[in-house]
This record gives sequence, structure tokens and C-alpha cells, in this order.
Amino acid sequence: MKRLFIILGFISAVLAVILSVTPFSKIAYIPGIAAFVFGLIAFYLAKQSSKKPIQLIFLLTIISLSLTTYKAIFNKAELGNTQTLELKEKESEEKAIEELEGLDLDEFEGVEDIQFDDQTQKELETQN
Amino acid sequence: MKRTFLALTLFVSSFIVGQNTSIGTNEKLTFSASYNMSGLLTEIAQVTMETSEVKTSSSTLLRLKCSAATYSSFDSYFKIRDLYESYVSPTSLTPFLYKRDINEGTYNKFEQYKFNHKSRNVESIMRKKKKSGDLEYKNNVKIGYNTRDLVSTIYHIRNLDIHKAKPGDSQNFTFLFDNEELILNVKYISKETISTNIGKKECYKLAISLKNDNSLKGNNDNILWLTADANKIPVYAKFKIAVGTGELKIKSATGLKN
Repeated sequence: MKRLFIILGFISAVLAVILSVTPFSKIAYIPGIAAFVFGLIAFYLAKQSSKKPIQLIFLLTIISLSLTTYKAIFNKAELGNTQTLELKEKESEEKAIEELEGLDLDEFEGVEDIQFDDQTQKELETQN
Repeated sequence: MKRTFLALTLFVSSFIVGQNTSIGTNEKLTFSASYNMSGLLTEIAQVTMETSEVKTSSSTLLRLKCSAATYSSFDSYFKIRDLYESYVSPTSLTPFLYKRDINEGTYNKFEQYKFNHKSRNVESIMRKKKKSGDLEYKNNVKIGYNTRDLVSTIYHIRNLDIHKAKPGDSQNFTFLFDNEELILNVKYISKETISTNIGKKECYKLAISLKNDNSLKGNNDNILWLTADANKIPVYAKFKIAVGTGELKIKSATGLKN
């Protein structure tokens, strides 16, 4: 039983450490707390036997939770380099204007007229 | 006389329905896209929705631009730089040109649709970047009468007269995506007051689902909150994903029409 909780605690603690270094660090709280609980249960079950693996679980948990808390407080969501995107936006607009010059833009007025005519025709047919 | 009167009434009413009453010409909405798992919110990307006027030699159009860029912490893991554009009529929001340029990690794709509403035809160009070189596909796609593109559909929803709708009312919108016509169902649920970064707002709560696609499925799983004023700004959106939920929260709104 003790071994099971040590294994579960160790897996959770390692997962918490891995998650805490990724941008999804906040999710590390879930395996971090789970590892802490498993560690406590294992510690309670260990009694007189060796507690070194449990200490390792607690150490990993403390590292992951500290790192996650630090990142949650000090790291702010900021945009990276968007110069290429801005450049792409400008180029795209210029190209779009060229494309639009080639299109018959008056046609949309025609579309609305067609819609209106169709509707009117149907209404008139039903009226008659 | 009766015919003329009927025709005139219909003409005037169809014109009023087609008017753009919500979208300004220099509007900029900034959102933060985040992933929520058991209340633990992780901000992933910034999404902006911008409008501007575009002048050609013969007419003035409205450019609807949506862009998405991941925050710097995500750039080294999965960098997203997406650009969606639609060039529409400033009055009826009818699209003429749609462009989609996506850059997600190592995946790059470009799409362009030229709408010909008279012949109900779309000239489509699709470019994909491959290791062996760029691949280009050209297609002609037949579309229905009210088919739009994704961006103009979003803006079109904002331009609806939602105040006339009753809870439970729904409407379908057809849009072209990846050369396929998809049907978006929008259902008005209720009015709700929520607090946002731009203040406490009374909103229209709308449920969104795609009828003929696997994404955005489910009943009332994907919700959009539009402010219950003349601008109908999307202030909050919630989408159900495999584990947890995706959220889109407004950060700022400038250049509003009303």
C-alpha cells in the first residue's frame, strides 16, 4: 500500500515539475497537490521504514509549486514579435486592393436588387 | 397602384434589413484567448478584430480583419500568427474577397475566395507549404444565395436585430470554409448581465453550433455573449473542448459606431 502511494506521488510530482516549466504552468497545481496528498499518505503509512522516497516527492512538489506560483505572480501575458504579421497584413491589403480592382463591385447592388425582385415576384404571384 | 405600393414597401424594408447599424469603420476589439481547466486559466493568445475602410478606384469597401498571435511564452512551443480578412460592402456586409493566411507551428496555409454573387460562384485559391515546395490548388465552388465567408458571418451576426428575437429563436447561416459550405446555427438563449474588462454589460446570450461539421458540436456548449446595445460587441465566448473549456474575453474596444 505504501509503495503504491509512493509510486503515485512520484508520478504526480514529476508531472507537476514538467508542467511547471511549460506555459501551462497553472495546471501544475493539480498534480502538485495530488503529489502532496499521496506523499502525506505514504508518510503516514511508512511509520519506521525509510522515508527518503517520500522526501523526494515533497522536494519535487515544493519545487513545482514554487515555480508555478512565481510564474503566476510575475509572468504577464505579453505579445511576442508580431512584426512579420503586421508586414503580412499590409502586403495582404495592397494585394487585395489589386484583386478588388479586377472585380465588378457594382454587382453586389445587383444582388440585392435580384433578391428584392425575386421576393417581389413571389409576393406578386401569390397576390394574383 | 397596389403592385407599385407593394414593390415600394418591399424595397424599402429590404433596404432597412440590409443596413449596417453596428459595425464602425475604425473599430478595434482586442481579446485574450485562454484555456480553462478546473478554474485554472492559462492565457494563450491575443485575438484582434479590426475594421477599416479600403478604397479602390471605383468604390469604398470595409475591411474586416481578424488576427491571432500567441503570447511570447507560447511562441517557442507553438507559435501562431493567423490572419483572416474579408472585404465587404460597408452597407450590406456582403463579402467580395476573403483571405485566410494561417501560420501555426510548422503548418502554413493560404486561402483566397473571390465571390461572384451574380453567378453564385467562388473562385478559390489554396496554397499549402510543403517540404517539397508550395502546392497551389485552384477551384470554382458553387455557393448558395446567402453564403458568406467566416469573418463576414461573424460580423453579420452582430448586425442582426437580436432585440426582436425571443428566447429559443434560432437562425442558420451558411459560410464557406475549406471550400465547403458549413451551416452555423445561432440560437438566442436569454439576456444576461456579465462583468467584463470594459465594464458590467447586459448581453445577449447566444448558443452556437455547426450543423454539418464535427467541431463546435453540442447543445448550448459553445456560447457567445454580445452586448445588448447598438454595437453588439462580442465580449465573451466559451467553447467546449476535449478537456476543459476555451474562452475568449474582451480586453479593449475602441472606435465603436454607436
